[in-house]
Order: sequence, then structure tokens, then C-alpha cells
Amino acid sequence: MTPGSGWRLLAPALLLLTVAFVVPVGMMVPTSVRPYVPLVGITGGFTARYYTRLLTDSYYLEIIGRTLALGLTVTCATLVIGYPVAFFLARTRSRWRSWLTILVVFPLMLNLVVRTFGWIALLAQNGLVNQALQALGVGPVKLLFNFAGLLIGLTHIFLPFMVLVLIGAIQNIPRDVEDAARVLGASWGSAFFRVTLPLSAPGILSGSILVFVLTISALVTPRLLGGPTYQVMSTLIYDEFLARLNWPAGSAQSLLLTAMVLALVYLSSRLARRTGARA
Amino acid sequence: MSGAAPALRVRRLRKSFGSVVAVDEVSLDAAPGEFLSLLGPSGCGKSTLLRMVAGLVEPDGGQVVLAGEDITRVAVHRRNLGLVFQSYALFPHMTVFENVAFGLRRRGVGEPRLGPRVERMLELVRLGPLGARHPRELSGGQQQRVALARALVTEPKVLLLDEPLSNLDALLRDEMRVELKRLQERLGTTMIFVTHDQAEALILSDRVVVMEAGRVEQVGRPEEVYRRPATAFVARFLGRANFLAGTVVETGPTATVVALDGGRFSVVAGPRSGLVVGQRVHAVVRQEVIRLERAEGTAGRPNDFAATVVFHAFAGQAHHYVIQLADGRELEVAAPGAAPALARGSGTHVAWSPDDVILLPAGAAGPGGAR
Repeated sequence: MTPGSGWRLLAPALLLLTVAFVVPVGMMVPTSVRPYVPLVGITGGFTARYYTRLLTDSYYLEIIGRTLALGLTVTCATLVIGYPVAFFLARTRSRWRSWLTILVVFPLMLNLVVRTFGWIALLAQNGLVNQALQALGVGPVKLLFNFAGLLIGLTHIFLPFMVLVLIGAIQNIPRDVEDAARVLGASWGSAFFRVTLPLSAPGILSGSILVFVLTISALVTPRLLGGPTYQVMSTLIYDEFLARLNWPAGSAQSLLLTAMVLALVYLSSRLARRTGARA
Repeated sequence: MSGAAPALRVRRLRKSFGSVVAVDEVSLDAAPGEFLSLLGPSGCGKSTLLRMVAGLVEPDGGQVVLAGEDITRVAVHRRNLGLVFQSYALFPHMTVFENVAFGLRRRGVGEPRLGPRVERMLELVRLGPLGARHPRELSGGQQQRVALARALVTEPKVLLLDEPLSNLDALLRDEMRVELKRLQERLGTTMIFVTHDQAEALILSDRVVVMEAGRVEQVGRPEEVYRRPATAFVARFLGRANFLAGTVVETGPTATVVALDGGRFSVVAGPRSGLVVGQRVHAVVRQEVIRLERAEGTAGRPNDFAATVVFHAFAGQAHHYVIQLADGRELEVAAPGAAPALARGSGTHVAWSPDDVILLPAGAAGPGGAR
């Protein structure tokens, strides 16, 4: 490869990234510091009030905190549920393996709105889940328009992503290395926690980043399962732009969300490089 | 083999994968301190056998007995065996020191005694100063030494080696062979060594177990399996040889005579029991036992034929020739490399001693001619 050809290979992706990401985000920067006057629109001048409000007003801080907490919880939930599934699928020699993998991916083939309405039917006050719980003598539990509802819905939707990433990572761990640990006297559990799990760290990291980023930027599911009042950052931004027409406030919120995502990706890639250098 | 109880005993061990029989009722003994090789082509079941001994593959039937104790149903991590993998299988996220210490830690060896034992083992495999490195910072040969140290530090009763030298380049492989053999002599560990490389098996082993299609073809000292192969497969697998098909025409106390197909030549072999006149056999002549001689003064001796050189290649230690006999039959010959080369097309004589002729009954596994 000649020194310049690397850039040529990257050019299409870089062009797309510039047009679809850098330019729109860049255009939001000037918008976010213009004052918005109701019934008039965006006016000239400069203001930082949308940023200060976002970072001081408890209403907004609660939404930011809720968004981050949701991202973290959904990530942990998909990891805990997805790891055993991925481990099984990566290791099984069953001839059902490809069918089971399709089963994992299957939810992705259904329309997101349809799936989410499915969850509403299940989680509603008199939905299937609550009927079952009442039959067991547990009173109706509020599972819709709150954290629990979003957690359940988003975990379900993003689980396939986590599983697919983990399958790849676990398949990359040579069986010999685990066998070596076993022969050297490690029980199954000991070999798993000392060898398999540390060696799947790169997959855990990339799966977690993927699910976290998808969760904090998800719009349809939080809107439908959270209703109009239980807001996360993406629904807040949506309302700001399209309901209240306050583009400057929406821009400031979008930029903060983008900054959070970029910071996370940067930090985790540094973490990956550190663990990668050791592994 | 003295009277000592075998360090490892395998009894009628069986394993099938689906309809494929990988290991078919194999029985073996390894004496304490013995270096035993399992030699065979890929897919002959040698690795599966080793993995059953290690406990990584569950046998369908049979027994594995380690120093008198039946371990067939004992879990992998309680068998106290060492295993060295072809891929080395080092823990990439641990230092060399931690790799070697792994087995000791699992056995609850405390820090004060652990350090010196690991250090001593690293010295033994000549990796003394590299303990703080990670496996990926080491060369292939060094990684293999870490794998050896890791397997030996727990002082296993038997060390199993699964093609441990196959991933090394030729020069390093020769070096590691010597090192492995010296390590074994020094520690006295019983070693079971799986390989498909016949030279490696012959050089390293006290005894060689030749396997094919899940069965043991022959067990013997290196010289036995090489000079007195029990089957055509063993003769073929252990080194290049010329297979000459023919019929026994004379048996006796001093010689056996085989008339080769085609009717013009016969080969004289030493006396053999168990052969009868009229029996179909293969006279097997290894390429290095054939002498190339000047034409004069050789007439009248057995196994002496006029020949023409049709191919020559120089390989350093040896000259490789293909020579053609008067009836058109071609033989492969390896002559010492120090001798002057014979040009292609030149006339010569070939001769070999009757004692060097291997006679194998031409059974179902009869080979199709010289190779």
C-alpha cells in the first residue's frame, strides 16, 4: 500500500461522516446561542441561557440523570442476560445453532413501533403481565410510563446487538486457552472468571458502548413507553424542536447529548487500548 | 519396561464422533520416565487419544489409569497432568510469570514458595529474565518454552504434548527437540508426545506408537518400527521406501527369495518365518540402504542390478536419485551427500544387503508400487 492510498480507502466514509454528522452538528452550534422569543421565533443576538438552564435547572438535570441511568441500566441488563446466551451460541455444536442465532436476531426484523405497542399491551395496568401477577396475588405494578417500562422495552430491543457483538468476541477466544486453564487445575468457574471473561473484555466493552449509545439516543421506544410526561433527553429534544419550535434550546440539548456520547466513546477507546496493550 | 508399574495405562479406549470412529479400542502402557510418541497422519486419532487422557474429551469406553489410579471419570482439573498445546495456548492477558504460576496458584501454593518455584522453572527453560513480559512480546520458541514451564512447574506425573513443535520453523524445531529431550532426561517426567513428524518421533522417543485410522499399527523402539515395520502403512509412514511386488519362490534358513512381478528379477532377503512359497509379498527397500556402485566386479552378488540415473537432486546431507533398472522399473535412492554426484543418464549399479530387505505380506493394504 502506498502512503496515500489509506486515505483514498477512507474517503467515502469520511465524506459521509462530514455530510451527515459534522456539518449538521456544526450548524447547530450557532443556532444554540440565539435567543428564541415565543410567537416571534429565533432572533438575533447572543445568549448562553439554554446551556445554563440545561446544567442548573433541576428539571433538566433530572432528565439528563435519568437518561444516563437508563443507558447504564439497560447496558448492564443486556450484558447480564446476553452473555450467557452469547456464550452458549458461540460454543454449542448443536445443529440448531444457526436457528437459535436467527431467533436472537428475529426481534430486529419486526417494526420497532409494532414491538413497542406489543410491550404496551403486555405492561399496561390491565395487561398480560399484571394479570399474571394478580393471579399470583401480587397487586398491579406500574410498569408503563416510568423507568421500569423503559428499562424492559429498551433491554428487549437492544439485547440482540449485545448478543451479536459478544458472540464474535467469545468465538475469538481459543478453546485451547480455556482447556489449558482446566488442565492446570482450574475448575470450570475458575477458568471462566480468570481466563474466558477477561479475554472477552473487548467484546463486553464494544457491546456496552453500542447499547449505551443506542439507549440514550433512542426516541420511539421512550416516547411510546414513557408517554408524554416521562421524558428522556431524546424525547425532550424532539419536543423542543417539533412541539415548542424552540430550536436554540433543542440545539443546545442535542449538542450536550452528542458531547456525552463522544466523551464516552473516547474514554472507552482509551480503556480498550490500555487493556488491549496488556491482553 | 522392567517390572515397575506403568506411569500411564490406557485400556481399550474408544471414541466416535458421529459415525466416525476416532479412537478404536486402543491400549497402551507408558513406563515411568519413558518418552512415548504417538505417531500418525492427521486424523488418525492420536490427538483425540491424548485429549481423552487429559480429560478434555470424554471416552465412549475404556479406561485411563494414572500411576495405578483409574482416572477415567476424574474431572480434568483434578487429574494433575501437564498438557502442552500446538498453539501454546498461553494466557495472553497474563505475564510469563503469572502464566507459569497459574497451576501452582490453583493448587494453593502460597506466595513465599510460589515465587522461587516459578523462577527456578523459568531458569530451567532459559527464560530467566523474561518473567515480566507478556506472551505476545515473545518469539514462537520462547512462547513454547513458557508453555513447557507452565505445564512442568506443577510436577505432573505425566506430561502430554500435542504437536508442540509443529508451529516452529525448521531450525528452531531442531533446537527445541534437543532441549525437550534434555529436559525430560533431567526431570525424569513421563512424556506422551503426539506428532505427525516421523523424524521427530524417531529422534525423541524411547518407544513409538504408530497409529492409523484410530488403531495402533505398531509399538516399538524407533529402530524396530523403522527397520522392522509390521505393516505396509508403518513402512511407508516412517520413511521413503521402494515397494517391490512379487511372489515368494524360496524360503530357507539363510534366505528368502522373492521373484518380482515382470519375471526378470528376484530379490534376496534374510530368513523370515511365517512366509510360504507362492505367497504374495512386497519387498520393501528403504532408499538409503541402496548403494550406488561402479559397474565392475559386482556380478553374482544378490540384489545387484545394472541401472541408469534418470533424476538427481542434491539436498545437502544426501543426493536424491531416481534410477531405472533394465526392466524399466524405477527406484528411489538416497546416497550420502559427501559422495560425488552421478550425472543424469550415467550408467551405474545398485545393490543392497539381504538383511535390509523388509518383507510384508501383500494384504488388503497393499501399496500400488514404489513411492
